[in-house]
Amino acid sequence: MSVVAVFVNVLLFLLLAPLFEGVMRKITARVQSRQGPPVVQPYFDLLKLLGKDRVDSARNWAFRLAPPAAFASILAVAALVPLGSKVNALGARVDAITLVYLLTLGGVSVLLGALASRNTFAAIGASREMVTMVMVEPVLAMTLLVGAARGHSLGLGAAVFGASAAGYGLSTAVMLAAYAVALQAFVAKQPFDIPEAEIEVLEGPFIEYSGPDYALFRWYMMMKQMVYAWLFAAGFLPFLRTGSYVGDLLTQLLGTLLVFVAIALVGSTNPRLRIDQAVKIYAGLIAVALVAVGLAVAGL
Amino acid sequence: MWLTSKIKQVLMVARPGVVTLKYPFEPRPAPEGFRGAPHWDHTKCIGCGGCSNHCPARTIMVRDLCQEIRVLLYDGSRCTYCGRCADVCPEKAIAMTDRFEQATDDRADVTETLELFMLTCQRCGRCYDMETKNAIDKLGLTGYRYDSLEARTVIRRATDTFRPAELERTERYERPDSTGD
Amino acid sequence: MNVLDRIETELRGRLGAGLERTESPGPARLFVDVERSALRAAAKALIGLGGRYMVGIGTDEIARKGTLGLIHTFAFDADHAAVVLRTAAPAADPVFDSITPDIPSAGWSEREYQDLLGMRCTGHPKPKRLILADDWPDGVYPLRKEVPHDLEPPAAEDVAYRLDEAPPGTTVVPIGPFHVSLHEPEHFAVYVDGETIKGCDYRGFMTHRGIEKLCQTQVSYNEVPFVAERICGICGSVHACCYAQAVEAAAGIRVPRRAEYIRTVMLEIERLHSHLLWLGIAGHLIGFDTVFMQAWRVREKVMWLSERITGNRKTYGMILIGGVRRDIGPEVRADIEGVLASLEKEVLTLKNAVIGDGAIHRRTKGVGYLSKEETARWSLIGPVARARGLRLDTRKDHPYAAYDDMTFDVPVVDSGDVWGTLVVRVLEIFESIAILRQALAKMPEGPLMADMPEALPPLRHAVSMVEAPRGESVHYVITGEENRPERWRVRAPTYPNLQAVPAMLLDNQFADFPIILGQIDPCFSCTDRVAVVDARSGARRVLGRAELERMSRRERGKE
Repeated sequence: MSVVAVFVNVLLFLLLAPLFEGVMRKITARVQSRQGPPVVQPYFDLLKLLGKDRVDSARNWAFRLAPPAAFASILAVAALVPLGSKVNALGARVDAITLVYLLTLGGVSVLLGALASRNTFAAIGASREMVTMVMVEPVLAMTLLVGAARGHSLGLGAAVFGASAAGYGLSTAVMLAAYAVALQAFVAKQPFDIPEAEIEVLEGPFIEYSGPDYALFRWYMMMKQMVYAWLFAAGFLPFLRTGSYVGDLLTQLLGTLLVFVAIALVGSTNPRLRIDQAVKIYAGLIAVALVAVGLAVAGL
Repeated sequence: MWLTSKIKQVLMVARPGVVTLKYPFEPRPAPEGFRGAPHWDHTKCIGCGGCSNHCPARTIMVRDLCQEIRVLLYDGSRCTYCGRCADVCPEKAIAMTDRFEQATDDRADVTETLELFMLTCQRCGRCYDMETKNAIDKLGLTGYRYDSLEARTVIRRATDTFRPAELERTERYERPDSTGD
Repeated sequence: MNVLDRIETELRGRLGAGLERTESPGPARLFVDVERSALRAAAKALIGLGGRYMVGIGTDEIARKGTLGLIHTFAFDADHAAVVLRTAAPAADPVFDSITPDIPSAGWSEREYQDLLGMRCTGHPKPKRLILADDWPDGVYPLRKEVPHDLEPPAAEDVAYRLDEAPPGTTVVPIGPFHVSLHEPEHFAVYVDGETIKGCDYRGFMTHRGIEKLCQTQVSYNEVPFVAERICGICGSVHACCYAQAVEAAAGIRVPRRAEYIRTVMLEIERLHSHLLWLGIAGHLIGFDTVFMQAWRVREKVMWLSERITGNRKTYGMILIGGVRRDIGPEVRADIEGVLASLEKEVLTLKNAVIGDGAIHRRTKGVGYLSKEETARWSLIGPVARARGLRLDTRKDHPYAAYDDMTFDVPVVDSGDVWGTLVVRVLEIFESIAILRQALAKMPEGPLMADMPEALPPLRHAVSMVEAPRGESVHYVITGEENRPERWRVRAPTYPNLQAVPAMLLDNQFADFPIILGQIDPCFSCTDRVAVVDARSGARRVLGRAELERMSRRERGKE
């Protein structure tokens, strides 16, 4: 059963991530008084990109390796996470640190691809992405730590659900606030969509990528968004727990959808910040997250 | 305050809603007075060529095939829809229609050709006494004209009497593609 | 003694024999002819007397007098007057003293005539090519009458523009010729150190279309407004109106009052359109697409209104020499009033939603700062100058059309940054709405066109200024003999404003580059309008790509 869950995870993440992206685009369009693209547009985009020629403009192995590496890392994350409140066969063999490692591996692959492009704009985008990763990933790690501290184990089940399993504590509330703000940075939406600012650096890290490579990166980004949004819904909204696997699956996906709606609303009502301004905010988030961890360790 | 601004921004959207028009799946007519593609009424046109002399885009060509026949050709591919032709026409034979959906892959769709039988003036052959009050809007009506209809080029050359040699020259006219120096 | 007399006396005193002649065709204009040795002293004197440099004009008088003429124009805003300084040099020795060391804003004018007329301005700090492509052959000066308007010289290979030296420790980020944040092709080589901008070199004029040459050789007086309208996608009426006003001033034509009112209405509608467009673009440049979409949704009403009044959404085609083409009848008036009412409400909502937003403040306050003194030194104009404390508005300083009958405020703030320009433009929208209401209420009856029974007198000079949405537009016209202008110089407001952009960019963050450039509301098509049809574009495409590739793949210096 838990082996089947691995495949269910991967399938759901692969297939639903573009749909959530489409929902975000539709909401953004409505806020802008536009009709917007159809909700299934990202599927068409991915199909179109996959059908194009493969252009290797940098002609080195790192450039070619980066997209499949990023995609593979996020597929691994999708396979591991306890979707539906069930720690599946793979998830039981790893712990929270593996999760953080795999998510960071995805980011590092993007950096690898950007720096291997030998393009000025990609370099600027890579440096911004690096700064963002260094400042924002700790918030993710600390979210899992809060869960681990309260669940008394580093296993995935405890790390993800521990924050709210034994009732809401002060640490949970503080962590919720930090994660909610950091969520915009995790999913790279305004005000924190800095690394790929189209108007300034022309897509930043991905500028030299096109066709199937770019499709892999975009799918990677969409699945990454879904993981972070799901983490919020699963970790901080305990009322979604129904007790059954299928029930929890549905409620968590619904919760993820609502989180995406909120992300879209916040994203469409904010301009983009500069990297130096964003860094100050990230530093504040790290401080708040540290407080939350301290509280969790102290038993609150 | 920041939060109230955000709320106002979302509310700002609530009233207008979605403003995307369903064009081209629903028609969208142009308002009254719109300057679309010009149309020549051949029953009113007297073949004076004033429109051709005032077209800023040089998109109306006039050629005399002989003393009696004048061809007027409007090539809409370069037309800017300014409406000066309609302004200066002494007979109000040109109307600016409301057609703006002019995209086509066939140049003939945007071309209007008039073949006019010209009476000969008793005194001099070809002139019109219709100059406007504005000295800078002279219609420049005298003479026989030989614009190149094949190359769609206006050639500013008018002669007092009809010269078949001129006509032949402009029939063979070719646009220069490079003057190279 | 009035200001023009005062200026004349002062100049006579300073220049002595160098001052050849003066003439004053009207109360607001003084034409001063000087010998070329006295040019720099005269220019300096005029600036010292409180003049603001506007533009330089070069003329080819070789056939008539064997000389090349150079004309500099100065505005005396507080005194509502303009002074035109004229000089000439023999065609065999077309050398002038450069006035750029004293007047930075003249830099581009002088470089322009170096390229186009073959003049030389000694002492110019940066005498590089400005207008012509880098592979344009030497010795061919497009604005000279001997050069035909449709000349296509062969292109050269491997000729690149040499950019300024990058300051040490910086990398070059090539913005252009094609970049997402630019609407038209131009090249900004931005020198960055990490994310801080340390310098910038600009190479533009890639979309010059030979408009001035064309209108001096091919088209007639009343066809020029239609070409002028297409100089810019937004300030069409401005250029047509300014040209018409210049010709009317030169020829002594009196435009009927109703026509002046209608011109005012069109100009203000254009201002509404432009400011709403800018608001959207500014939002887009800081990553706030919702402001972009909403501002443009509101702008759509203005475009509908324009279509209703003139028959076209943007190229109004209303202005001819001597008046206007169409009338504004009662149904159209009712439509205008309706749109103005709804516009006022919508812009107020937009303003309230935007003005208190801390996130927008963070991206625009303190960004692109330029002090008031620097702004005056560079002779900047428009909302850019009004955001830095300079009260300059051509509608008040040199009233034209029906503005002398209108009551309105000129919003001026002194924050000196991008936020200031945003505030100024939003306030100007409300002022425009007020002006429009007044114009509609006070419009007198009467004819729409002046009578012109005789041909326009040739070889008369005139300069005319109009407040475009971006600042002051200047047109200089010398009437000609063949039913067309002998010389026509268009100076859009972006021309002087662009020259100061490298100064505004210094020490700002790279992420702010688009919005700093955007605050001058750059209109490159307005700026690039001179010179003959260019060399075959094929060569230049290769040029751009090779240069860009070289620059983007160059080994980076210290990061």
